Amino acid sequence: MTSHPVEATGLVRRFGDLTAVAGIDLAVEEGEIFGFLGPNGAGKSTTVRMLVTLLRPSGGSARVAGHDIVKNPTAVRRAIGVALQDAAIDPLMTGNELLRLQAVLHGLGRKESATRTSDLLERVGLTAAADRRVGQYSGGMRRRLDLALALVHRPMVLFLDEPTTGLDPTSRLAVWEEVRILNAEGTTVFLTTQYLEEADQLAGRIAIIDDGRIVREGDPRSLKEAVGDPTLRVEVSDAAMMETARAVLATFGEERPARVGRLAIGLAGGAGRLADVVRALDDQGVPVAHIELDSPSLDDVFADATGRRLEGANSAQPE
Amino acid sequence: MTATLARARWRVGVEQAGALVTRSVVNTWRQPGSWIPSIVFPLMMAAVYSAQFERAIDLPGFPDVDSFVQFILPASILQGISFNAGEAGTELALDIESGFFDRLIASPVARQSILIGRMGGGAVFSGGLAAALMVVFALVGAPIEGGIVSAVAIVLIAAWLSLAIGGFSIAVALRTGSSEATQSLFPLTFMMIFVSSAFFPTGLMSGWYQSVAEVNPFTLIVDPTRRLALDGFSFADFGRALFWSGVVASVSLSLAYRMYLGRLRRS
Amino acid sequence: MRSPTPRTDPVSAFGPTVFEIGRRSLIRIVRMPAILVPTIVMPVFFVIGFTGSFEGVTRIEGFPTEDFINWVGPYALVQTAAFAGIGAAGTMATDLDNGFIDRLLVAPIRRSAIIFGPLAYTAMRALIPITLVLLLSIPQGGSLPGGLLGLFIAVVGGMGGALMLGSMGLAVVLRIGHIRAMAIVQIVAFAFLFPSIGQVPLPLLSGWLHTVARFNPATNLIRMTRQGFIGDVSWAETWPGLLVIAIGLGVFTGWARYELDQRAP
Repeated sequence: MTSHPVEATGLVRRFGDLTAVAGIDLAVEEGEIFGFLGPNGAGKSTTVRMLVTLLRPSGGSARVAGHDIVKNPTAVRRAIGVALQDAAIDPLMTGNELLRLQAVLHGLGRKESATRTSDLLERVGLTAAADRRVGQYSGGMRRRLDLALALVHRPMVLFLDEPTTGLDPTSRLAVWEEVRILNAEGTTVFLTTQYLEEADQLAGRIAIIDDGRIVREGDPRSLKEAVGDPTLRVEVSDAAMMETARAVLATFGEERPARVGRLAIGLAGGAGRLADVVRALDDQGVPVAHIELDSPSLDDVFADATGRRLEGANSAQPE
Repeated sequence: MTATLARARWRVGVEQAGALVTRSVVNTWRQPGSWIPSIVFPLMMAAVYSAQFERAIDLPGFPDVDSFVQFILPASILQGISFNAGEAGTELALDIESGFFDRLIASPVARQSILIGRMGGGAVFSGGLAAALMVVFALVGAPIEGGIVSAVAIVLIAAWLSLAIGGFSIAVALRTGSSEATQSLFPLTFMMIFVSSAFFPTGLMSGWYQSVAEVNPFTLIVDPTRRLALDGFSFADFGRALFWSGVVASVSLSLAYRMYLGRLRRS
Repeated sequence: MRSPTPRTDPVSAFGPTVFEIGRRSLIRIVRMPAILVPTIVMPVFFVIGFTGSFEGVTRIEGFPTEDFINWVGPYALVQTAAFAGIGAAGTMATDLDNGFIDRLLVAPIRRSAIIFGPLAYTAMRALIPITLVLLLSIPQGGSLPGGLLGLFIAVVGGMGGALMLGSMGLAVVLRIGHIRAMAIVQIVAFAFLFPSIGQVPLPLLSGWLHTVARFNPATNLIRMTRQGFIGDVSWAETWPGLLVIAIGLGVFTGWARYELDQRAP
């Protein structure tokens, strides 16, 4: 068995003339949370649908949990848990009924299904709502139920397609917490998201996808560091000392545009040099009112890779 | 001042309703799957019943017609309309399911025009459908004896009647918000049409069934419409068909409106 | 927590999965009974409506029975059961619409369970109109000279019609992926059942309809279902109906399977 729970080579999916996924290579490590970040329509969901055997690839190959997704889809299905976008949940059924159905579909016996169902309901905090129809659940409750459904058969790999899209901040935090716990228990998580913060908070490693291609891959910190130096902003309380401060700062990095009354530079060498900067300003007697260091964000990484911004582009769209 | 304002608001309402009617008509037209059945299905029934019951027109008590096809024309139009009207409800239910309805409600559109748009679109389409069916019947040798005036009258009756029938499916769509439930209404309308003079003369029925068929609003609408087609235009028959359609419409539309208010309250 | 339950067979057991998928449809009709209204109303309508509207046709010379119900009742039985069968496609259409189908498709079950689950439900659902038609025929003057065997054959005919149309409904819904597919299947059902010997016997049909009805498979199905109501059951009137059911079921379930495979590998 291979050491990568999810492994794709040159994965392609075309819909007519449109190439939604244009040759993707992936290798997810066992036990990690792998974040798949990109704007709407970048090909995230198409990739996930191929990996979870809902869509046949037009080219390339992939193995999930050691099984080929095309040659042995059933084995893949048994090994994975899936919570898709637009949590498709039959509104007429209760949480309890849905979990039991899911358990039987995944080959659990009747008795086992019953215990597993009540364990999972408890785990995602839905015990009280177990016998209510899902149609009456809130968005956050549905998402939690969806998560529980994906866990019924103790999957090796969990696929979460935009698990928090459309959720309020509190519900979002609850889902994040649950994903962290699951991961700590050893489940490998493949997570797609259009939220920078989500990828930053949860994923150990991320791939940025744009227009069907992976444009960056790595752990969030090194990706950000690779973009360039963090921006250091300094506010001087005595206007007379501005020029002195400028001269001091110039020795640490290139000047960047800043608001009136402030100075900004790209701090070469990163946060490690911050103490040196403060010391040097102090030596020259520059009175500092405010100082801040802004690391590049994943949005800067995205912008660096694609020339466009991710932040804001998504929030403008309702879904 | 307020009068001008009221008039302006009224005009905006009409314009919005007009836009929604157009959207609904265009939408329907672009999905042939949703309206082709409303032509094919009645024609199929007409063809089969004509070949099946051709010998029945000689039975004592059957109205004076040249062929069964001629007899069944109003039934075909009625069926086409009911099919179409059912579609209006299904479309609305789909709008509710997809969340489009909520978005309309949340938008500054005059709320009544949402319903008016859906139903107005259905009415326009039903009038066209009636005209198309009459042309087909004329081509197979069952022309409108009453000529162009009768034909126009029948188109108007069809449009008006589609509001009456459509009201029920709109009501179900608003109440359940389910396209599945709304679609199941279609057979019920079909049955109502069946227990009327649409397919077979009430004179050849017997017992309580005959009594029911005689007072079925569809009989009261079909009989004068049939006379318009077979005997020529008369204001009395035109008025009768419009009046009984209006009675049905007043029930269905007020029901639809109640369901509409109910949904607004819930959303 | 993490290692998947080891199993020699990667596919979940067929029986329980079919049962659970079918049960889900039953839950749906309990929670949304409006879906079931036509299934109950249609038999009432067909038995009473057909007899009421067209009883006059028995006055046409050469009509083989005086009690129209014995002629038209079995037709009503097949027709209403078939329409109840199409209902199975309704759940599938909703599932496609809201994406619930994905849940079934990513489960390690046999693909055919996704087809046979709704069909199991169809069989249950078809019992409603079959029972109703039989009960309602009694006060209308229905008789059953074919006895218990005739009754059994009639149930087989109705059930066969329901399963055929149910599987056709599934195939078309899977193909089109939309609730409207149901209207299309209803029309196809009419297109077959209608130009047949359902309401008027073959010798009385004129022109093209006579030809169509003669070769229409629905004629065989109706003839098989009807025989016990107008006389004794014979093999000669039975096997063509059984053949139609067997071929119809084979073709439509195969088609539905094919369409399902087109949706996901």
